[in-house]
Amino acid sequence: MTFTKVLIANRGEIAMRILRACRELGIKTVAVYSEPDRNAMHVRYAEEAYLLGPAPSNESYLRADKIIEIAKKSEAGAIHPGYGFLSENADFAQACEDEGITFIGPKPEAIAKMGDKGVARATVKAAGVPVVPGTETEEKLSDEDLLKLAPDVGFPLLIKATAGGGGKGMRQVNDLEEMPAALESARRESLAAFGDDNVYLEKMIIGARHIEIQVLGDNEGNIIHLGERECSIQRRHQKLVEESPSPFINEDEEFRQKMGAIAVQAAQAVDYVNAGTIEFLVDKDKNFYFLEMNTRLQVEHPVTEYVTGVDIVKEQIRIARGRQLGYTQKDVKMNGWAIECRINAEDPYNNFLPSTGIIQFSSLPTGPGVRVDTGVYLGFNISPYYDSLISKLIVWGETRGQAILRMRRALEEYRLVGVVTNIPFHQSLMEQHRFIAGNFDTKFVEERFSIEKAEEGKETNPEIAAILATLVAHQQTERAAHIIQRGKRDTSNWKWVGRWERMHR
Amino acid sequence: MPPEIQPPFSKILIANRGEIAVRLIRACREMGIVSVAVYSEADANALHTRTADEAVLIGAAEASESYLNIERVVDAAKESGAEAIHPGYGFLAENPGSAQAVADASLTFIGPSPEAMRAMGDKAAARTLMGKAGVPLVPGYQGEDDDESLQKAANDIGYPVLLKAAAGGGGKGMRVVENPDELEEAIGAARREAQNAFGDPRMIVEKYVTNARHVEIQVLADSHGNTLHLFERECSIQRRHQKIIEETPSPLLDDELRDVMGKAAVAAAEAVSYVNAGTVEFIVDPDTRQFYFLEMNTRLQVEHPITEMLTGLDLVQWQIRIAAGEKLPLTQDELSMRGHAIECRLYAEDPASGFLPATGIILAWQPPDGPGVRVDSGISAGTEVGVYYDPLLAKIIVQAEDRPAAIQKMRTALRDTVVLGLTTNREFLLDVLVHETFQKGTATTAFIAQHMNPWLPDEYVPVEALIAAAISEFHSPSNTGANLSTSENDPYSPWKRLKGFRMGMGQ
Amino acid sequence: MRLSYLANGHNHDVDLEKGEGGYRVTVGDSSQVVQVNSSTDGALQLLIDGKMLKAHVAAEGKQRYVWLNGKSYSFEKPSGSARRGAAAEAGGDGILRAPMPGQVRQVLVNEGDQVENGQTLLLLEAMKMEIRIQANLDGKLMKLHVAEGQTVDKDATLLEIEEG
Repeated sequence: MTFTKVLIANRGEIAMRILRACRELGIKTVAVYSEPDRNAMHVRYAEEAYLLGPAPSNESYLRADKIIEIAKKSEAGAIHPGYGFLSENADFAQACEDEGITFIGPKPEAIAKMGDKGVARATVKAAGVPVVPGTETEEKLSDEDLLKLAPDVGFPLLIKATAGGGGKGMRQVNDLEEMPAALESARRESLAAFGDDNVYLEKMIIGARHIEIQVLGDNEGNIIHLGERECSIQRRHQKLVEESPSPFINEDEEFRQKMGAIAVQAAQAVDYVNAGTIEFLVDKDKNFYFLEMNTRLQVEHPVTEYVTGVDIVKEQIRIARGRQLGYTQKDVKMNGWAIECRINAEDPYNNFLPSTGIIQFSSLPTGPGVRVDTGVYLGFNISPYYDSLISKLIVWGETRGQAILRMRRALEEYRLVGVVTNIPFHQSLMEQHRFIAGNFDTKFVEERFSIEKAEEGKETNPEIAAILATLVAHQQTERAAHIIQRGKRDTSNWKWVGRWERMHR
Repeated sequence: MPPEIQPPFSKILIANRGEIAVRLIRACREMGIVSVAVYSEADANALHTRTADEAVLIGAAEASESYLNIERVVDAAKESGAEAIHPGYGFLAENPGSAQAVADASLTFIGPSPEAMRAMGDKAAARTLMGKAGVPLVPGYQGEDDDESLQKAANDIGYPVLLKAAAGGGGKGMRVVENPDELEEAIGAARREAQNAFGDPRMIVEKYVTNARHVEIQVLADSHGNTLHLFERECSIQRRHQKIIEETPSPLLDDELRDVMGKAAVAAAEAVSYVNAGTVEFIVDPDTRQFYFLEMNTRLQVEHPITEMLTGLDLVQWQIRIAAGEKLPLTQDELSMRGHAIECRLYAEDPASGFLPATGIILAWQPPDGPGVRVDSGISAGTEVGVYYDPLLAKIIVQAEDRPAAIQKMRTALRDTVVLGLTTNREFLLDVLVHETFQKGTATTAFIAQHMNPWLPDEYVPVEALIAAAISEFHSPSNTGANLSTSENDPYSPWKRLKGFRMGMGQ
Repeated sequence: MRLSYLANGHNHDVDLEKGEGGYRVTVGDSSQVVQVNSSTDGALQLLIDGKMLKAHVAAEGKQRYVWLNGKSYSFEKPSGSARRGAAAEAGGDGILRAPMPGQVRQVLVNEGDQVENGQTLLLLEAMKMEIRIQANLDGKLMKLHVAEGQTVDKDATLLEIEEG
């Protein structure tokens, strides 16, 4: 399993992230690119680069055969798939294995089991992991079966594609009457996206938060967790802001360890090796349910890196090289607070419509506690072929308040000209009292947040930063004095910010 | 606003320039505090001038006419309505007279009291005081400082000796004297330098401990009697008594020595009733593991970021909060270190000819980035590096899980750094990082003199470099050069704060 | 067309010919086709013999600065016939120049004085650092070009000594 050269089967910021990790480990790198990516940053940063094909993904970054051929030609001993593209493709992982190339990720069997949502639910349930109540079979279910089972699951419910992910083939159904039409469109979408129209039902958890646990497993069966990430700030099932710890869990270490242990159990159920993420839905009473497992590196991994000090990508490579985990569960300690904003090429004033264009000017924020993972640069053309993620802006602070303040500063320093971005959305969000108070669920952005409304109030409360800063100080002092009981901290202060904000509207 | 909740200050004047001014402005911004920069005529277009919320011209390029002129700085603070002044490092930072002048103007000086500064600033008096507080001292002499007394003291102590400016720090007015013949000329030169730098030619003599390590302890004290130490920084990689690479933790220290030195540093700070951030410098004999008090720097250090990365505490924000009277919410036991951090100072200087400062215009500047990399800089493409100020261009700071990983990350970061237009120590730093002695973690303060002298850059010119130069004559990438981002009216300037500014949005 | 660059006292000739799909570049006895990609962010992306290289180039007057693979290079592009520079570097000619811009802090000798190799003649201060200008041969100080307090540019002639 020793390899000295890695092919990175991805593009953009994640390709850069992996390239840097390889360099720091003294490993040679091979990039692959599509025609429009000829001048991309990852192409320049790698030691070698090979053309895959035209712009469409299925003619370039999804060409498993070509990628393996290039790996062999360039004598790369391993392939890192990043996220998206081929990262959760069990056949690709298998093909690598067959060719004697190390796939930096889990075993094909684990990918396959977790990739089929029905099989995944059944597998982890058998291992004692709570799942969202729903249909409980690995068999294909007909419309007739589903209509019969729906009342038992209870409304509102979700129709989900068994092959799915990312919100595709997913429909919310409020009563039995809506079922047939919803089933039909869900199946149609699923077939188009995944080539499979099989669906299942899940009860909808009202007011749920999306909280996920990062796990790491080595080849010797050691599996640890690296704490949680709060990912409830989403729009149409796309995460926009992630943070660690979760403000919902915050200092409830017992709950964190309970979720962590369950996540490890879920990973053990498929003999998981390498980095993975167990996604949970958590209701307001702290009941949590397995949603799915992402058998790859997550976009939002940097927030975990910031608070735990673990370099997840380097650990992935070390594990793939057959090394034992460098950490035990006891070594993992969370320190401070990290927040990530996904900077996307989309227009927050126009229904988050994706935008394209050439980056004419770019100036990244920097300074203490700020990290930017990006793959674009001056002159780069944001094309419609790939996803709209331009970069990830990640900050770290001693406390959540300090991290929010730092994020505001960093967003203000960030300059991108030539393409419309969602930076104004993040700026508004960072000033919302509900966000500041940590009081939100997965429906927050869609149902209770409007950038226009947020900005109307803006001119009247320019002192918000000063107030936040004061609260940060205030909280720390209270922590020192142990005035506030465990788990009950902050709320009084944050409530007060909310009142103050409303007063000034 | 309820009376119990008040921001520490609403406006702070930053009495400095370059990277540290930008660093301080960022801290203010994060705390919701309006920042006021001061600038000299030479710095009208400097990054710190453009970064701050407000900027006040205070005089000519000569530091004595601008950044060292306390009256103008205080006037600027009063005119702009600032309530506090942060001095950064250098310039007014360790001048008790300045701290006093700020206090007399009913403004807050973000730093220790003039008394504490005076007590530590006078190296002679500080030695006496530290001796009393039980802090171990290097054998030395402080007292009458006529040439004859110094000569006698040097003979008594035994050569080599170190001449130091009684008023000084930062390597200025400092000379190592190997034998008695060199003493007289050294005293003369050191006095002149001390007079120029501090306005005070007095000297003290100390035993020059050869092959020592320079290890310093960061302390943080509030005005309620709590003093903490934030562990050590290893600063042995120096040239001309100026640090160029710092790291933490020190490869030399174990938990036991760390604890003893930390306690000594806290005792030193408490002996002068120290408040705010300060650094107690020690030299450590690596063979005996004995440590000796060198001096206390009563200000923020250049190398403070490595401590920030390791402990997670924002030292500048804490300085501001302490100055506002806040209590430290942490106890010593709650502090911990994570991983390993290294800083490299990127200087405009020529390591091949005695580290002489270099001047010129920054034609291209691309700082490194990526996970675990932080760059504190005060330059941009087009910045003119002149003769008036310190030639520090940027600090490159990395943090990784352990020392080998941090060294590797720093090498990558330095290689990725593009700075064109003048001579820098970038390649010298890269050579230090791969030197066996550095990698083993055993380098002493004599490392550069012993192992890196003489140093010459690689003279090999690859054909590809010539090809790149030739092609650029026709295929001009010119636009990143000196003419970008220097204009005040440049709408793309990263630091221009536009209210309600929304990129690419149709109004 | 031929371009010449001076690096570390050595001259390098580069022959450049623009052709279909790139440049033919000849340096010494090696000749290759070079394709040039984006140059938008100041970086030149060169495809030389199938190998992708990223370089940054900046120009100021006759100076050319190149960053390539983590290393920096500085060239001088001689104008017209002049190929000086190499000769001016040589020491021992008795002419002492300012190694960097600064202010003359103190002049320790007078015109006509006999001076020894190594003797400190003048103190220059720059960036709060004192730089000693020392005689580079034994001889007589023929000319003093500067006075105390005067600001001088890099390479300005400070003193002239005649050997003997």
